[in-house]
Amino acid sequence: MKLLKIGISGVRGIVGDSMTPKLAMDFASAFGTFAHGGTVLLGRDTRVSGPMLEAACRAALTASGCNVRAMGVCPTPILQWAVKSGRARGGISITAGHNDIQWNALTFINREGTYLNPFQGAEVLDLFHLGKFRKASVDDLGTVSDGSAAVEEYFKALGRFLDVRAIAAAKLKVVIDACNGAGAPVLGRLASTLGFELVPVNDRPNGFFPHDPEPRPRNAQQVVSVLKVVGADVGFLLNSDASRVSLVSETGESLSEEFTFPLVADAWLERHCGPVVTNLATSRMIEDVARSRNCPIVRTKVGQSYAIHTAFQEDAVLAGEGSGGVAVPAFHQAFDSLLTVGLVLETIARREKSLSALVAALPRYHNVKEKLYCPPAKVHSVVSEVKKFFHHHRDIDTSDGVRVDDENGWVQVRTSTTEPMIRIVAEDRSPERARRRADEIIDFINGLIQ
Amino acid sequence: MKKPTSLKISISGVRGIIGDSLTPQLAGSLAQAFGTYAGPGPVIVGKDARTSGAMIKDAVLAGLLAAGCQPIEVGICPIPSFLILTKEMRASGGIAVTASHNPKEWNGLKFISRDGLYLTPHQTEEFLDLYDQGEYAFVGPERIRPVRTEDRPVEPHLKKILAHFDAGLIRRRKFKVALDCGNGAGAILAPRLLQSFGCETVLINAVPDGSFAHQSEPTPENIREICRAVVKAGADVGFVQDADADRLAIVDEKGRPLGEEMTLALAVQYILARNPGPVVCNLSTTRAIDDIAAKKGVEVVRTKIGEINVVERTLALEPKAVIAGEGNGGVILPEIHPCRDSFTAMALILEYLASSRKTVSALRGRVPLYVMLKDRIEGSAEQGFRLISKLKKKYEGEGTTNLLDGLKVDFPDHWIHVRPSNTEPIIRIIAEARTAVRARAALRRLKGEIAALKGEL
Repeated sequence: MKLLKIGISGVRGIVGDSMTPKLAMDFASAFGTFAHGGTVLLGRDTRVSGPMLEAACRAALTASGCNVRAMGVCPTPILQWAVKSGRARGGISITAGHNDIQWNALTFINREGTYLNPFQGAEVLDLFHLGKFRKASVDDLGTVSDGSAAVEEYFKALGRFLDVRAIAAAKLKVVIDACNGAGAPVLGRLASTLGFELVPVNDRPNGFFPHDPEPRPRNAQQVVSVLKVVGADVGFLLNSDASRVSLVSETGESLSEEFTFPLVADAWLERHCGPVVTNLATSRMIEDVARSRNCPIVRTKVGQSYAIHTAFQEDAVLAGEGSGGVAVPAFHQAFDSLLTVGLVLETIARREKSLSALVAALPRYHNVKEKLYCPPAKVHSVVSEVKKFFHHHRDIDTSDGVRVDDENGWVQVRTSTTEPMIRIVAEDRSPERARRRADEIIDFINGLIQ
Repeated sequence: MKKPTSLKISISGVRGIIGDSLTPQLAGSLAQAFGTYAGPGPVIVGKDARTSGAMIKDAVLAGLLAAGCQPIEVGICPIPSFLILTKEMRASGGIAVTASHNPKEWNGLKFISRDGLYLTPHQTEEFLDLYDQGEYAFVGPERIRPVRTEDRPVEPHLKKILAHFDAGLIRRRKFKVALDCGNGAGAILAPRLLQSFGCETVLINAVPDGSFAHQSEPTPENIREICRAVVKAGADVGFVQDADADRLAIVDEKGRPLGEEMTLALAVQYILARNPGPVVCNLSTTRAIDDIAAKKGVEVVRTKIGEINVVERTLALEPKAVIAGEGNGGVILPEIHPCRDSFTAMALILEYLASSRKTVSALRGRVPLYVMLKDRIEGSAEQGFRLISKLKKKYEGEGTTNLLDGLKVDFPDHWIHVRPSNTEPIIRIIAEARTAVRARAALRRLKGEIAALKGEL
């Protein structure tokens, strides 16, 4: 079985298996056709398969008549920002985010600097399946130019957006683990923009991930031990394209990635009240925070594209996911770990409180996340069996898989958007009950698969 | 006639039109298939100065990286230097992004074996079988290697030439040389080579930017500019390279183009005078070669058209061929490397001038005079094939017919040759005779016969 996921925001597969140069070219040709030969930004994270896919995209985009602005190794949020500020027609970020090293993906960015909306995604997919790509004649072939100057523009804008004076005045010592990913080359620039003392970890952009590039506690050991040694105020873990982040407090407690969004939201909503968008797999913490600030909450299907486009439609002030992704539409419509780091530091500085104190003020839930590999042909029938299993339940939401809520917690079962897997998320005020909610479903699904 | 296709996959490699048949997908898949065929070692990747070169090269890099090869980029590099580098670096093979002399909307890929030679017809067949089966090597990220760059790709070539020829002899003559690189890859090495031979140079079109100052085929019509330059500078000789610098045309000291057939004829005349031995050339090459060889009592072996066919025979021949080539200005000196090489041709001509102490026009005067006329008609290979079998019947009994490649008919005082091109959807027709009148008459008759047969194709 070949592992390949084609979705509206891009295509994801395994290098050496499904993610062939031909496939990447066909998608880049489809995107170049979609972009009508306009300017397209091209960037990648540090994965060793990146240059192969980058060459494939460069060839296909220029063949379709698109001028390529090469960003090289570049965080996806910076590429997104540069597409919009540089008035480009779109962008392709070559990154598999939190997936491990054998994966890679093309993420398509529209001219607004955000993920393709479902209609745009469907158009690119139709072009891909049709296989009739725009072909420039030899005099109209696209050119390739260096687009990396936009990185500096991004940091200037970030410095204007955040209260850098307050951050600098707090004289914070900050550990950041870039997982040798796309965030690595810009950590120094982030520190000089915001005015904190940086203690970098895994900041060599060589594509060899020292741990899973997923920001979550089990990958935080290095940050925790460095933080304790240097006595830092806060630690951060970035994923491979610097779109998502999880936190480590000054006491060395590695916080679940679920805390990132509510922590930022509590501070942001205090000053900017408005709708908050999150997905159905995200912790209830954000609902409690939004309620306390009198802000409405809107839940969407899981997938960064859904959250961002719902935020756009709802004119939301914040969008975020339990996976550590936070977007502030006032800055740009992108999950942006660099901005998130800034917002967390701004909150620590302004409130003059330690991160552990800020976290202690948040409602506490216990979260269990599990995934089960499942044959792709079976995933949807498994989920519909789970729906039947819960048919008697009063509070059931089936807009993305199945989610059932009660007063103490909830459980959600859905198909992964990125891999042929079924994801189970359970949450409860008591850790035992959260575990039990998840186990009940896992046993049921295992019974179905076997 | 049916509209011919713009994609040509043949023993000469792959050629197609940008924006039409030659897509990055095709180039990438071919490169991945080649990487599968060559194995996971280093593969040299180069391109000529065409504007579409960067796009096709990127596609090739993607395919090779996916196959687990170690691509070594050489940027714009003359083809003979590239072939020599592939061998000297002990690479698994090479891919050159070039369409030689085709117009600028064309580009293509040439595939090179570890010996630094174009794939032979048999190797090409094996490789294309792999391509057609579509099952390519595809390694995981742990085996993908970073692309490397070779900044001095012409050094092994330059060293070989300087070691082989009598540079001291040439230097003492302090030649003045006008050089037209056609803004092709030759500009990377040719000025340096001439300076190494102590020549004063007048350079024309020496920026390898792909703008193609002339239609990149060094025929007499395309080289007026250099003829004027030779006269103005009072140069001893003028040289014109094609876009990938494998072929050479010569202008004499009076600013007269010799005609591209004369390049190999002069080279053969010089080499056989010093070292008589077998000569290999293709069917379309001037009969002057046979006359020169007959005087020395050595054999001329004629091959099918296509550089690799000439090279294969050259390598297989026993006793060894001392020189080989094609009438289109492609000189092969096996002692340097079995490939067409405009730089070796220049060195050879300069050494000939230096050792003979004669002018270009005087040396040219020693070569039997022939007039060759070339024409082309549009048509696919298949139409050409049908045409040839009908034409053969028309000419049978009048001259010696040869079906090795298309149809060649030898008469006592002239010959004709009709053959579908390997690289473009055209049928080439050629006539050669001792006089222009006779050559024109032969070509006129040939075209008349073809026109009469056209309705039946």
